[in-house]
Amino acid sequence: MLFAWLILGTFGAAAVAPWLYRRAGARAGWLLAAWPLLVVAAAVGRLVRPGCPAEAAGWDWAPTLGLRVGLYVDGLSLLMILLVAGIGALVLVYGGGYLKGDARLGRFYAQTLLFMGAMLGVSTAGDLISLFVFWELTSIASFLLIGFHHADAGTRSAARQALLVTGGGGLALLAGSLLLGLAGGSFEIVQLAGAAASIRSHGHYGAILILVVLGAATKSAQAPFHFWLPGAMAAPTPVSAYLHSATMVKAGVFLLARLAPVLGGTAEWHYLLTLLGVTTMLLGALMALGQTDLKRLLAYSTVSMLGLLVLLLGLDTTMAVEAALVILLVHSLYKGALFMVAGAVDHETGTRNVQDLGGLFRCMPVTAVAAGLAALSMSGFPPLLGYIGKELLYEAKLQAPGVGWLILGAGVLANALNVAVALTVGIRPFLGRPKRPRAPVHEAPPALLTGPVLLAVLGLVFGLMPGMLAGPVIAPAAAAVHAQATQIELKLWHGVNAVLLLSLATMAVGAGLFAMRKRVRRLGERLALTVPFTPSRIYGQLLEGLMDLAKDQTRILQHGRLRGYIFTVLAGAVAATAWGAWGYIQWTRPDRLAPVSPVAVVVGMLVVAAALAAVRAASRLGAVLALGGVGFGVSLLYMVYGAPDLAITQLLVETLTMILFVLVLRRLPRLREFSASRQRLRDGCIAAAVGITMTGLVWQALQVQLGPAISEFYARSSVPLAFGRNVVNVILVDFRALDTLGEITVLAVAALGAVYLLQRRRPPQEGPP
Amino acid sequence: MNSVILRGAARILVPLQLAGALGLLVRGHNDPGGGFIAGLVAAGAFTLLALAEGVAAAQRWLRVAPGTLTGVGLLLALGSGLPALVLGRPYLSGLWSGEWAGGVRLGTPLIFDAGVFLVVLGVGVSIVFALMEE
Amino acid sequence: MSGWLAAPILIPLAAAALLVLVRGRRWRGILALAGAAAHCGSGLVLVAACAGGGHLVLAVGGWPAPYGIALVADLFAAIMVAVTGLLGLLVGVYALGTDDLMADAVFPPLAQVLLMGAGGAFLAGDLFNLYVWFEVLLIASFVLLTVGRRPAQLAGAVKYVAINFLASAMFLTACGLLYGKTGTLNLADLARKIPADPATGVVLTSASLLLAAFGIKAALFPFFNWLPAAYPTPPVAVSALFAGVLTKVGVYALIRLFTLVFVQDVGRTHALILVLSVATMITGVLGAAAQGGLRRILAVHIVSQIGYMTLGLGVWTPAALAAVMVYMVHNMVVKTNLFLVVGAVKRLRGTEELARLGGLWREHPGLSGLFLVSALSLAGLPPLSGFVAKFVVIRACFLAGHWLAGAVALGVGLLTLFSMVKIWLEAFWKESPDGAAAGAGPAVRPLGAPVWVPVLVLTAITVAVGLYPEPLLELAQRAGDQLMDRAGYIRAVLGE
Repeated sequence: MLFAWLILGTFGAAAVAPWLYRRAGARAGWLLAAWPLLVVAAAVGRLVRPGCPAEAAGWDWAPTLGLRVGLYVDGLSLLMILLVAGIGALVLVYGGGYLKGDARLGRFYAQTLLFMGAMLGVSTAGDLISLFVFWELTSIASFLLIGFHHADAGTRSAARQALLVTGGGGLALLAGSLLLGLAGGSFEIVQLAGAAASIRSHGHYGAILILVVLGAATKSAQAPFHFWLPGAMAAPTPVSAYLHSATMVKAGVFLLARLAPVLGGTAEWHYLLTLLGVTTMLLGALMALGQTDLKRLLAYSTVSMLGLLVLLLGLDTTMAVEAALVILLVHSLYKGALFMVAGAVDHETGTRNVQDLGGLFRCMPVTAVAAGLAALSMSGFPPLLGYIGKELLYEAKLQAPGVGWLILGAGVLANALNVAVALTVGIRPFLGRPKRPRAPVHEAPPALLTGPVLLAVLGLVFGLMPGMLAGPVIAPAAAAVHAQATQIELKLWHGVNAVLLLSLATMAVGAGLFAMRKRVRRLGERLALTVPFTPSRIYGQLLEGLMDLAKDQTRILQHGRLRGYIFTVLAGAVAATAWGAWGYIQWTRPDRLAPVSPVAVVVGMLVVAAALAAVRAASRLGAVLALGGVGFGVSLLYMVYGAPDLAITQLLVETLTMILFVLVLRRLPRLREFSASRQRLRDGCIAAAVGITMTGLVWQALQVQLGPAISEFYARSSVPLAFGRNVVNVILVDFRALDTLGEITVLAVAALGAVYLLQRRRPPQEGPP
Repeated sequence: MNSVILRGAARILVPLQLAGALGLLVRGHNDPGGGFIAGLVAAGAFTLLALAEGVAAAQRWLRVAPGTLTGVGLLLALGSGLPALVLGRPYLSGLWSGEWAGGVRLGTPLIFDAGVFLVVLGVGVSIVFALMEE
Repeated sequence: MSGWLAAPILIPLAAAALLVLVRGRRWRGILALAGAAAHCGSGLVLVAACAGGGHLVLAVGGWPAPYGIALVADLFAAIMVAVTGLLGLLVGVYALGTDDLMADAVFPPLAQVLLMGAGGAFLAGDLFNLYVWFEVLLIASFVLLTVGRRPAQLAGAVKYVAINFLASAMFLTACGLLYGKTGTLNLADLARKIPADPATGVVLTSASLLLAAFGIKAALFPFFNWLPAAYPTPPVAVSALFAGVLTKVGVYALIRLFTLVFVQDVGRTHALILVLSVATMITGVLGAAAQGGLRRILAVHIVSQIGYMTLGLGVWTPAALAAVMVYMVHNMVVKTNLFLVVGAVKRLRGTEELARLGGLWREHPGLSGLFLVSALSLAGLPPLSGFVAKFVVIRACFLAGHWLAGAVALGVGLLTLFSMVKIWLEAFWKESPDGAAAGAGPAVRPLGAPVWVPVLVLTAITVAVGLYPEPLLELAQRAGDQLMDRAGYIRAVLGE
């Protein structure tokens, strides 16, 4: 309940942020940060409560569909809340310094808080649908934030790419959620976990798993969907630090952890996630090799770590889950710090290229210290928290069943590469001599220092006192994932064992790679060139293909020629009718045929002749006259069959129409263009098809008679009930007067329109908007 | 088109046509005819007049704008169904007087028919006038 | 109570006739708004009367069905009337603020006639009467397309009218065929008389012709090509009204006939509808991706969304029909709103071509936000009405085991997002191509309340339905159940 209000409050803060910025200016960030700190306090308050019971609440949202807004706060949620709100507070402060003077800072605050609210919603959602709603909101917020510097075309397409990839994954997640809800009988995660056994044996389990993993993989930048994340570095650095390393990209991992009690524990789960994770981990680490931009380096290493997290969830052992949760936390701390450092360096020096950076320690000592701590944590250097994470990781992998050694090897390689990245980003720019003479560089202002320093120091504090984390934070989260209480122990020193040796080896290889970084980078660049089909290129080709397809289709279906349109429509109608009538039309003679009078035959032939003449006519007037012949012929037929009213009306209408035609034709140019013979052939075919279809339908209609016609009632009741002997007129003005009312409206509108179009008193003008 | 013969013929024919139209309207409920046909005939009369004497003259003859005829006709037809509502009967229910001498009855459907007549007349005339005006 | 059934027809007709006679701009404005408001109000009365699940029946002229014309309202019809009236009212307000539309000779009365035709079509309980209302709609929309009288409009209007005349001819032929076979035109009577045995072939020979006729009206694949030609050319108020109302009447007629009358051989008829719907969704969304003008993009998208609506009809379960209703209400509101926003953009910038637009997010954040909400809603993102609508449609597909159709509906959502993002990137994020000259053109006029009010109201509706969909869902569920209850309809009309 409390957290529901806190989430609503976050959206409220988003709403007032632009206003607050206008009033308070640069201090707005500090003021706004108070709110997430309150959220952190609430989460801590919940964590220190003994046993940390899960809180569940729900409100009916759409009972018709069985939908509820579910709130479910357990250990896993609280871990996420701490990250989202804690780092969020720092980012609000940091962003105020980073974007100082930008008129759109108010929008930045609003969008960041919008994201924060959505991400808190994801973390605390108790059912799949509310989770999805918040999930998509984070994608939208991410889109807006990536496109912050939207004047740049590259930024715009990066934002679009991120939205389309994560949005596409979101659709998969929605489909998966729906299937899961149908299979499990509820959208509520707790209930689904209760029905886990039947879900895992359900026929749709495979589809559900793939769809959910697709959703998670796009959000958490797993291969081959990882490419949007480096692109998202077009966002302002505080956004990268917050969304694209610390929180939003963890949403996929969170989703998998959340659904592990429902979907986990099967061979499919194990192999799918392990494969996905290993691939992503290695790919991210290798792709980082060729990078020189600080943010892109960090982005690829984030991809690698996200792969690692998925891998650990795939291993699905208690130890692996524990390791995943610790790394989730520690990664957010050091990566958030390093991103903020990169931003501060960029802010002060104007470049993010590692080759142009050096010797910054003297000008930016505080930044350097924060960077160093974070980098060492990332490298897994004791006594920092990163070291503990890495120990756990290796232990989990050593314990892993099956292909453990392969995974372990890949893990050491990826980690070593990440060590090199850590040193390149966190140490290298601050050592050595300054590169290139440039304007004097100053230490970053407090707003830019608070975040990285605090995060880096936290990494140290937690490393020294892991007990602060193990019991209160990690244990409840692990319990939530494994749906049973776990004893967690985090220690710095485990004695000399395989794990320690692996850690040492990793650091040694990492340091070696760093030392040879120029050669490694060239290797990486060459490696990148040899890959013919990168996913991002495929994405580009997909977009292009889509546009080509769209253009081709438009050329075929929407070419703008009326004649072709009519052809399509008639052909479609004939096809549809044929589909419906196939097998039902009998070409036998119906019994209901009335005797045909010779007069009718003659008139009928005249009508046909007139119709042919209309087709052959070489002038408009000729065609109109021939059509008039058709009309007069039809009115004669009415006369033959005893409908004088119809005949008179038809005659009058034909006469008036002829007069109008002649009046109109005076204004039209002569016919000049006649269609080519091929076109005529085509048109003739479709005309014949329509004619045959219609004949068939009429023929069939004559063979069916399902009851007396209502016209008998009209004939019977006209005089006694409606006081008129002229049945046609009585039908028009009484029995079916409403039809007549509609039809005279049609006439009135037609006249209004004709007069309107004929009166061109005003010159034609640009239409009013 | 401004021939003397046409004008002469119009002098004679137009009043006849209009009278005929009214006849068709009045007798329409019992014999061939009715508002629609009558409207067409009357519109034909004004077309002839316009051909013979010009649009301006025909317009003077008509006195009101053709659009007004249409609008009033629509309201008349629409309104003819309303009295039934006062009596609590469905819209457009026919209300009839008692039988008068010669078996003649008057009723709201005839008003409706008159509305149809006006609309058809207005429509025909306004299109013809607009076409001939330029 | 059933007397109200005539109101959505008579009120706009009276308003239209008076609007032809009245000249003063102020009076015309008042009349136009009053007519639309009364239309909407009578729709709400009908909703209230039908909310319990019953039907309202009016035997016009006192002639009982099947001899006379019956007007029938069920919940679905009533809701359509109410929403149409609301859109008519809001577009009317919008037109107040646009130069001279209220003084135009034809726009004010014909907007009313359009409402009248839609109201009649929604309430018609008689096939020929339905035909009449379609004629009213056709002629009124044709003339409305030419408001402003620019040559490009005439070209579009001619395509529109030519193809829709074909639809009329097919409709009329089908009316005649059915009358010849059954001797009746009353829908309930038709439903009763047509034998359940499909082998008689009574149904399919006429039903598929009607499917083609309404397919044209609703802009289904492959009958949709008139729509992109016609919609983008008239004044924005006209486009907005069309976008909200016109094709939906065709969809409505399809639903009415293929739930009430033609359900004897679902394996043929509804399977065909399903296939056409899927094709419609795909071609519409692809077609939109190839366009470069705001209204052209939005117009082609209408086609795609029509596919979602008829998809529910093809699935043909109560849940699917309820989903269709939700989708229709959502789409009518959001689509109209997007067109109105385009109108605002056009006023500010004097163009609606993406290539010439830009910088709107920087300069007009409020309007941009309103566009974004509607655009995301159209793409089906939560927490907006579009998400709810898409969710119920896909859920209904999955529940009925139509996996492929549901998957296509999902995928098309992504392509819709693509188009909306394209608009956002080009018109809102990109810098104005004329440099900083934005706001210097001669076409710039401030947006007044007549623009803001309708846009805000419609945006509020999409947000409200997204946040709290239950009332609409509940109504829709009842409407869906009611549509599947043929016997109830027949009983209500024929009193047996």
